Amino acid sequence: MSAVSSAGRLYGAIQGRRNRGLGGLYLVVAAFLVLYAVLFPGILSVGGFSKFTQNWFPLALVTMAQALLMLNGGITLAIGPLVSLGAVIAATTMEGVLGVPGGILAVALAGLAIGAVTGAIVAHLRLPAIIVTLAGSFIITGVALILLPRPGGFIPDWLSTTLAGHTPVAFLLLVLILVFWKAFLATPLGIGIYAAGDNPIGAFRSGVPVERVKIVAFALSGLLTALAGLFVAAQTGSGDPVIGAPFTLNSIAAAVLGGVGFLGGKGTMRGAICGSLLLSVMINVMFFLGFPPVAQYVAQGLIIVGAVAVPELLKQWKARR
Amino acid sequence: MTGTSPLLQARQVFKGFFGNPVLKGVDIALHPGRVHALLGENGAGKSTLINLLSGALQPDSGAILVDGRPVGRFSPAAARAAGIAVVQQELSLTADLSIAENIGLGAYPRRFGLIDYGALHRGVREVCDMVGLTEPLDMPVADLALGRRQMVEIAKALFRKPRVLILDEPTSSLSAHEAGILARLIETLRDRGVALLYISHRLNEVQALCSHVTVLKDGGVTADQSLAGIDGEGLVRLMVGRETGDLFPARPAPGPGATRIVVENFSAGLVRDIAFSARSGEIVGIGGLVGQGQEDLLLGLYGAIPAKASRAEVCGAPRLPGHVGDANAAGIVYVPADRKHEGLVLPHSIASNLILPSLGRLARGGFRNRAGESGLIADLARRLAIKGDVARPVQALSGGNQQKVALAKWLPLDPSVLLLNDPTRGVDIETKREIYLMLRAFAAEGRLVILASSDTPELVHLSDRVVVLREGRVAATLEGAAISEEAIVGAAMGVRKQGEAA
Repeated sequence: MSAVSSAGRLYGAIQGRRNRGLGGLYLVVAAFLVLYAVLFPGILSVGGFSKFTQNWFPLALVTMAQALLMLNGGITLAIGPLVSLGAVIAATTMEGVLGVPGGILAVALAGLAIGAVTGAIVAHLRLPAIIVTLAGSFIITGVALILLPRPGGFIPDWLSTTLAGHTPVAFLLLVLILVFWKAFLATPLGIGIYAAGDNPIGAFRSGVPVERVKIVAFALSGLLTALAGLFVAAQTGSGDPVIGAPFTLNSIAAAVLGGVGFLGGKGTMRGAICGSLLLSVMINVMFFLGFPPVAQYVAQGLIIVGAVAVPELLKQWKARR
Repeated sequence: MTGTSPLLQARQVFKGFFGNPVLKGVDIALHPGRVHALLGENGAGKSTLINLLSGALQPDSGAILVDGRPVGRFSPAAARAAGIAVVQQELSLTADLSIAENIGLGAYPRRFGLIDYGALHRGVREVCDMVGLTEPLDMPVADLALGRRQMVEIAKALFRKPRVLILDEPTSSLSAHEAGILARLIETLRDRGVALLYISHRLNEVQALCSHVTVLKDGGVTADQSLAGIDGEGLVRLMVGRETGDLFPARPAPGPGATRIVVENFSAGLVRDIAFSARSGEIVGIGGLVGQGQEDLLLGLYGAIPAKASRAEVCGAPRLPGHVGDANAAGIVYVPADRKHEGLVLPHSIASNLILPSLGRLARGGFRNRAGESGLIADLARRLAIKGDVARPVQALSGGNQQKVALAKWLPLDPSVLLLNDPTRGVDIETKREIYLMLRAFAAEGRLVILASSDTPELVHLSDRVVVLREGRVAATLEGAAISEEAIVGAAMGVRKQGEAA
């Protein structure tokens, strides 16, 4: 028995089992994608596919950011404001001396730092994440409005064209981010996110650095959120201090659609990604079919409740047989 | 065992919480190749001492010594590095992670910063073979029964290749078979020179496995001696510090009671098509290996899970209770095994927990009746000998006292049928005795007590009749002189009865 094959076998078996649990979700996502392709065959061209994934990309990132914290037993209400702040920082720094690389670095550092500070407050002062991030959302919104009181700023055209043009760069970036996530999850710290989310005391007694895990989770979540803001700025060609607002609740909705539980340790990142894709497709379909915005909101809410209720009802039905 | 130097030692450790001293200058020394018992009633400070020895807590004063040298700042990670592993009573597992990932947690073999799944697989396979875990290693722990999870917990400790292994109530949820595997494992580790600390409320296990004992009482050490020549009575004497008489109350001659419960072709959860009946004034024991339908039998009779029967007469009604409210109205109450989650509202006060089932009955015009409530609370606290302030949160109590609260809250309803699920699990011996006396008294008052238990001696000495379940069916019904540990364990394990030669 070689080390490689036994490693592959155990790792593969664990992953396979997680996929089997998500079979239903995969089917639903596939069905919606087929429906979408039938309604709007444009998605099958490179340009159409690129546009579609660009619409999905920021939601995918913030859903990952949200799921990361929910898996760790937390939550964040600061997603929207941090997306806005990321967009604002991008639009105000890219004309500086360091140019685009400097702007990207500034956005990334701001996301990491804000996340880490939030995480440190939650972990060390043992305050509830929902309150700390609610407070954070006000502060971050304020800072964004101070930096850029009204939409504007500067994003170089070539950056917008690269990220949000007719090439599937956004999709490739998402794949890259998912590869990084898989690698992170194969580290002791990554698994610690699950363990500390499900059973913090047990994880602590097992030698998992629970506080450090929480701070890392918040920092990575902040990074992903701020980068989503950078992307939104590139997409719109400018910074807008309130553009991120809808992302807070949509990130929670997408994670829940993807089967991530509220109590920590339950769910998978691949499920959350599917959830964000599903939500993105549904929003697009309703938009293109000409649903009025009010009806869109109602439909979105009903679908989310249904998505949570259906597996639960199925479970009860199975238990009764 | 003199001559060896201790691997792990606590010297004059003090520890308190919120001004309450829990440990008042405790010494203990764990030597290689010795199984050391730690005894004490719940609340004596055992858990706190374990947490100090494993780095989960820091002593207020005093020192923890590893290999004779005081350790500076001790943490779970530092304890692991020193070769100390703990099998916790409260499981430290993550439900959604696989068996392998749980066993390795906090001690993963790494390669280039990533978890080395190959090395993990080999290491986990080895320890799972040692404890007889044959389930696939990629299976999530959530899919395992409680006893199997306990075995995973034990494998997790072994995976750390401990020089010192601390086992806190490791058998409380194990089947007799699993407990036997654990006992052999402990002997193997001892012979390899591991220092073991064994905490259990089951004195026969302590006698069989341990050679040395430290007894804690009220945060101090009352005995630190060899176990040679000490019998069960002697152990109990050491723990409670006085003569206890028999742990189990005398069993009166069964009086003919009226039939309270009759069910035929009864199915609920794991229970399939059984016939069951019980009379008032009886204590009916429900035995069997862990997870053979004992809990579902109780929950089905309580209306808490869907149940059906071809014929049912429960407390005079010609049908099963449709829901819990129905059962309560008929005088049926249930005390769950998992008191922390199902039996009590932990952060609420003792008083609020005691009064919870009676709120509606006491209310006047839809409002709470504070005067009536406080009278009832005072009465219950007195009857149960619950010491101290009833305004304290119930989670501040020891396991035994929590269980008394979980039981006592039903008394104002004057129940005619008590369904009890493992009421003495993790309960100290003195409280066990109080609970046994209480159950006997209930039966003598003409109530029906149905007692599911994983503690076989308890079933033998307390029950008028024992129903043994196996795979959801009745494997045996034992009565009178036929009730014995051998008969119960034999039926539970599906062993055919041998000729009664002896």
